[in-house]
Amino acid sequence: MSSTVSLRPLTRIEGHLSVHTETEPFNENNDARRVTEARCEGEMFRGFENVLVGRDPLDAQQITQRICGVCPISHGIASVRAQEMAYGITPNHNGRILQNLIFAANQLQSHVLHFYHLAALDFIDVKAILKYSGNDRTLKALQDWVTHAVSSNELFPVAPFLPQWEADYVENVDFNVGLLAHYVEALNIRRLCHEMGAVFGARLPHSTALIPGGCTQVPTEQGILAYSSRLKQIFSFIRDVYLSDLIQVAQGFPQYFKIGRGCGNYLCYGVFLMDSSGAKHIRPGAVIGNRWEPLDASAIREEVSCSRYQATAPLHPSRGETVPDPNKHGAYSWIKAPRYRGQVMEVGPLARLMVNYHDPDNTAVKQEVDVFLKKHDVALDQMKSVLGRHVARGLEAMRIARLAMQWIQELRLNEPPAEEFEIPKTAVGAGLTEAPRGALGHWLEIENHRIKRYQCVVPTTWNCSPHDDQGHPGAVEQALTGISIENPSQPIEIGRVVRSFDPCLACSIH
Amino acid sequence: MQTLNRRDLLRWGACLAAGAGLSPWYGDVFAKGLDQLASHRVKVLWLTAMSCSGCSVSFLNTQDPGPVEVLTELISLVYHPVLSAIQGSDVGKMINELTSKGGYCLIVEGAVPVGIPMACQFEGKPLTDVLPEIIRNARAVIATGTCAAFGGIPSAEGNCTGAVSIREFMEQQGLTVSERLVNCPGCPTHPQSLLGTVAYLIAKGYPPVNPKLLTPDMYYQHSVHDECPRFHYWEKEVFAEKFGDDGCLFKLGCLGPLSHTHCPRSQWNGGANWCIRAGAPCTACTSENFAKSRNFPFYRKSEKYYAVNYTEADRKGVS
Repeated sequence: MSSTVSLRPLTRIEGHLSVHTETEPFNENNDARRVTEARCEGEMFRGFENVLVGRDPLDAQQITQRICGVCPISHGIASVRAQEMAYGITPNHNGRILQNLIFAANQLQSHVLHFYHLAALDFIDVKAILKYSGNDRTLKALQDWVTHAVSSNELFPVAPFLPQWEADYVENVDFNVGLLAHYVEALNIRRLCHEMGAVFGARLPHSTALIPGGCTQVPTEQGILAYSSRLKQIFSFIRDVYLSDLIQVAQGFPQYFKIGRGCGNYLCYGVFLMDSSGAKHIRPGAVIGNRWEPLDASAIREEVSCSRYQATAPLHPSRGETVPDPNKHGAYSWIKAPRYRGQVMEVGPLARLMVNYHDPDNTAVKQEVDVFLKKHDVALDQMKSVLGRHVARGLEAMRIARLAMQWIQELRLNEPPAEEFEIPKTAVGAGLTEAPRGALGHWLEIENHRIKRYQCVVPTTWNCSPHDDQGHPGAVEQALTGISIENPSQPIEIGRVVRSFDPCLACSIH
Repeated sequence: MQTLNRRDLLRWGACLAAGAGLSPWYGDVFAKGLDQLASHRVKVLWLTAMSCSGCSVSFLNTQDPGPVEVLTELISLVYHPVLSAIQGSDVGKMINELTSKGGYCLIVEGAVPVGIPMACQFEGKPLTDVLPEIIRNARAVIATGTCAAFGGIPSAEGNCTGAVSIREFMEQQGLTVSERLVNCPGCPTHPQSLLGTVAYLIAKGYPPVNPKLLTPDMYYQHSVHDECPRFHYWEKEVFAEKFGDDGCLFKLGCLGPLSHTHCPRSQWNGGANWCIRAGAPCTACTSENFAKSRNFPFYRKSEKYYAVNYTEADRKGVS
């Protein structure tokens, strides 16, 4: 008998997402179910693209940052890139480096937040803290709290850590307490990443210092010191704590190298400008069925047959439309369904890794990844999984922290932080970059010095997209199909698969 | 909590007050409020409506007390959509139980879509259906962020969802606003003003607020312009002409005169920087008019391109 197992709402992500799965029994001895079909419902729409119409183009990098409080800088950068193309400029030396540094800080913040504060509680048995026998002040405080709350019959003890579902956690106390201790430490590291970004970005979230052509602040020695001293701490945390925790979780839950494979197609727009030519440190491209190809941004279409918008033919974002139709027949999500050459694509750290790994001109990434995979006896194909996405994110954090260490030395003291520009009467621009969660594009059209059209296709729009016009399910929907659920009343497996994509719903719909 | 003693609480209260340049009297009030929170006598429920979660992320940037102290010792945050381990249908059950018990402090982040109720859902239902009961049973409601406080970007000109602030939603629903709702605007809200306001509410009840805006005076009384470190440039009429220049940022679009907030005292991200210090014009993100009008851009670079329909006085905030 088929039955629906839902996770509504799916917490510990950004925003409003519900997931529904159709399941069938597959083990006669217990209640376990197997997912045959899945639906991702994006549940919150604000209409940023409509609000932007008629505004001054320079408002865009401020307004679009508010699409997402977790990755505002990515939207700021995408908007700034689109405007720079429209204005016919590129950032000057300091402008490019400053933008990269602010961007790097926010990417690191997002990756640390995602692993520890969003995803890790799926893999930690919080109650293991009751058996803790060490002397760390914070852990002892946490232990007292859990002890007190569990014995007091309080309705909702020890939020936000409990209540959590019973599941196949690792029984080792050190494993669980160690991860909890790092959850706590990561709260400070995440904040430190934002401080580091604020050094040049004015403040985070929602930097006011980001402008087309660069940044508002002339680099100073104090700024460089303030940034690099924080970066050193963050770098050590990633190298010594984050990466080793990833390996521990991978060893504790090896089955998740086989779960949540997904569509197997990967898209990456590339990110972090290397110079004024537009070349990027993380390179753009697409992988469709293990075959690499250069990125062709004209092959993107957004489809809306299952989305709550007025029906249109598949449209390229430069001609995109956003007319809400909340009760449209057959629509179940506010997320549109972007496709590349008609294909469902996965985006994010794993996609960046796969695209760069298969890029024939990019041997450095292949070497780096091969060393890691060999050391831990993981096949490249196993990376297409829940754990693969977490590992790819961690490896990328390491790479970004290393790059930031180079960039901070390249700043030129007391030289202009931005390129000058004039806003043309009529122009178009496209800003393609990579948010922590994957490929992010902003498409801009200017008429009479004002915004005529603004369209965003955001990472989670790709990953959590609903079915398209052909009836193909989105990337997360495909990753959920075929997974098994041990206890249908506590479907922790759904959460583990969906969170590995690091969904951001405010972004995906905007 | 056994590990938090009175000295810790007084210290956190004092830090919280000093961070925003408030008198020591506030430190004692905050300590009293934090004590009630830490001992779980008052629970905090955090809901997100049409938000970007930026205020949640900003709250995690809290310093003295830091995020570790706030989350693991000070606040009993019964539910936070981005942080809570709880998931699925348990969330609805938990919120129902909490609502029937009442007495919690409700923090709402984000605006409410009254034009298209399906534009923000909770458990598949419009949030507008479930929110009134949750608000009615709260001991106090804090609208955090400019979206919740004044509608913000979701309710800006050209929006198609009919988004409104929490206050407007409460008034439409016939819910009591007076002495119950406090607005803590900011895009995002500064963590100090949010934590301080919660602590004050619990220790001493409804704080003194601006009668029109319902923003607590302790944080939102003075304009950025009044306390601006570049004020001397303004007086001497030395203006920055392009980004990166020294001088008053007014001619680049700074809206400091329209923004009432504690930024000049608190700065951002633990004092790492803030907009004016970084040469970035203030966007008046705490203002009720933040981002609302198409014809009132953040920067002034475009004034030469098309006829503006605001006056110099509008920008200077003098009527």
